[in-house]
Amino acid sequence: MSVNLEHTPNEAKLPATKLGKAKRPPGPWALTWRKFRRNPYAMIGLITLMIFVILAIFARLIAPFDPAKTDMMGAGIKPFVDGHILGTDELGRDIFSRLLYGSQVSLTVGFSVAAGAVIIGTLIGAISGYFGGWIDVIFMRAVDVMYSVPLLFLNILILAIFGSEFTYMILIMIFTSWMGVARLVRGTFLQLREMQYVEAAKAIGVSSWGIIFRHLLRNASFPIIVNATLMVGGAILAESGLSYLGLGIQPPDTSWGQMLSKAQEFMLIDPMQGVYPGLCIFIVVLAVNFIGDGIRDALDPRQKMHLSPRRLEQWRAKFSKSTK
Amino acid sequence: MGEYIIRRTLQSVLVLFLITVFTFGLIHAAPGGPTQIFLSPGLSIEAGQIRAEQLGLDRPIPIQYFNWLGNIVTGDLGTTFKNNIPVGEILWPTVKNTIILMSVAWILSLIIAIPWGIYNSTKEYGVSDQTASFISYVGFAMPTFWFGIILQSFFSLKLDWLPLSDMYTMGKEGNMMDLIQHLVLPVSVLTLGFLAGYLKYSRASMLEVLEQDYIRTARAKGVKENKVVFRHALRNALIPVITLIGLDLSILVGGAALTEAVFNWPGMGRLFVEMANSREYSVLMAITLLSAVFVVIGNLVADILYAVVDPRVQLGKGGKA
Repeated sequence: MSVNLEHTPNEAKLPATKLGKAKRPPGPWALTWRKFRRNPYAMIGLITLMIFVILAIFARLIAPFDPAKTDMMGAGIKPFVDGHILGTDELGRDIFSRLLYGSQVSLTVGFSVAAGAVIIGTLIGAISGYFGGWIDVIFMRAVDVMYSVPLLFLNILILAIFGSEFTYMILIMIFTSWMGVARLVRGTFLQLREMQYVEAAKAIGVSSWGIIFRHLLRNASFPIIVNATLMVGGAILAESGLSYLGLGIQPPDTSWGQMLSKAQEFMLIDPMQGVYPGLCIFIVVLAVNFIGDGIRDALDPRQKMHLSPRRLEQWRAKFSKSTK
Repeated sequence: MGEYIIRRTLQSVLVLFLITVFTFGLIHAAPGGPTQIFLSPGLSIEAGQIRAEQLGLDRPIPIQYFNWLGNIVTGDLGTTFKNNIPVGEILWPTVKNTIILMSVAWILSLIIAIPWGIYNSTKEYGVSDQTASFISYVGFAMPTFWFGIILQSFFSLKLDWLPLSDMYTMGKEGNMMDLIQHLVLPVSVLTLGFLAGYLKYSRASMLEVLEQDYIRTARAKGVKENKVVFRHALRNALIPVITLIGLDLSILVGGAALTEAVFNWPGMGRLFVEMANSREYSVLMAITLLSAVFVVIGNLVADILYAVVDPRVQLGKGGKA
């Protein structure tokens, strides 16, 4: 089903185009994007995520009602009545508006937790892997300890201790999720630090930090990016779980997980209320995971390229012509 | 080999010790420390102070730590702050309930996932493989508790086939059939979650082995494909699965909390959430520690098994983080 387009010998042999002007070979990012673009799942994920991001950014403008405004007279309105696209909940709040505002929470948590955890994890992993010695021992024991307590328990415990204000929650979730990246970066650095270019850099007097940031990190960046993408989905799921348990986002603020815990109480009266928020979480996380897998596949030279049957047919025709 | 086991065990003991320090430190890093609980409206300040003195919370923190550690090691988990109930009395029954729920889901998912994943590795991108891959994607992206809510509203409320929540119907405690009925929905939720990982993992592990030289050699010698897969490849492919099982204890123990909350299952996870809401630190510490013990021992056993099963593991490097 697949052909590796990037490494055809023709391209390597003919660096010049017909005009005689040297064509600059595409860089690693361009190559990755080219492969990513051809992966239908990844593109669907990307577009879906972008739609959600736009909805979240412009929630204030799009939302037809104030998500926190209760209206006991207008409770439990059916969808498409009085301008309530998805109806209202048991307190008369507009469900569609609440979903929009909830997307802000989920996406903010997802991206900031992933970003924070990647920064901290990368720093710790880089220091651990590059310097080794007692620093490494201390950091890796810390990783062992934090990995040994089930993540959900750790989050709940710390949230119970420090309270679940929005910024606290993000910081706490960062604190409990950097370990995977740290291990990954450390492992990569252990291999990379033995490379000759590191030795060369050392010989011309580049400082340790210069080597870490300019040389090693750049070579370790691909797996980190894949990991970071998949972490966004994990963080969104974790937030929804914590909010569902009543330990995350507190009313009057809205989050999808929190909407679900309310919806469960009113399951008998209005089962659809429990469907929408969960569906949103599911779609966003699925989109992020598709993107993550797409990036991973695009970065992996062993991975085969996704081609549509039409494209494959074109390619076969071209190939059989050239060999005849 | 013996040396490796001893070193790995010592390492685990060290990690467990560090976990006690970490947990204890966290609780005492709380603004106001564990004593803040006595400022609740139900208690006068004097009464709170007297209770704190009874529990030894007025003593220096290192002394408190070693008292606590000593008690824990001898199996005394302390008492709750509010009602002075022994922690063990509340904790142990819930541990049993969690183990019932989790082991059923876990064994079921292993029974399904390992053969299916292996079959899929031999028929890459076939219908069965695509189905499994779809299940993996769904399982990874779906909030487990949401799946639970959906199942509840469909199978319990709409069709009325299965009980909505709890472990037993009132008055039928200990009835096996009743328990099984109550197990169906939460087990389905958990199994989907486990399947997502195991299916992917067993397939990938098998595919990796099938690419190895000795498999090509076997095929070149004319060994039948079935024999190549089940005799030559399977054994090596199962090795990484063992480690996965060890690592998963953490999810096994902790991951139940959400499912238990949805189905009101009287397990350890639900107890943890309840106690977090009422800030019963002695129970929280006991559960955190107990789950960590499970995880550390699980990892230790998995590592040792790995070394026993796979002689290629470099024992000299066994200590890698």
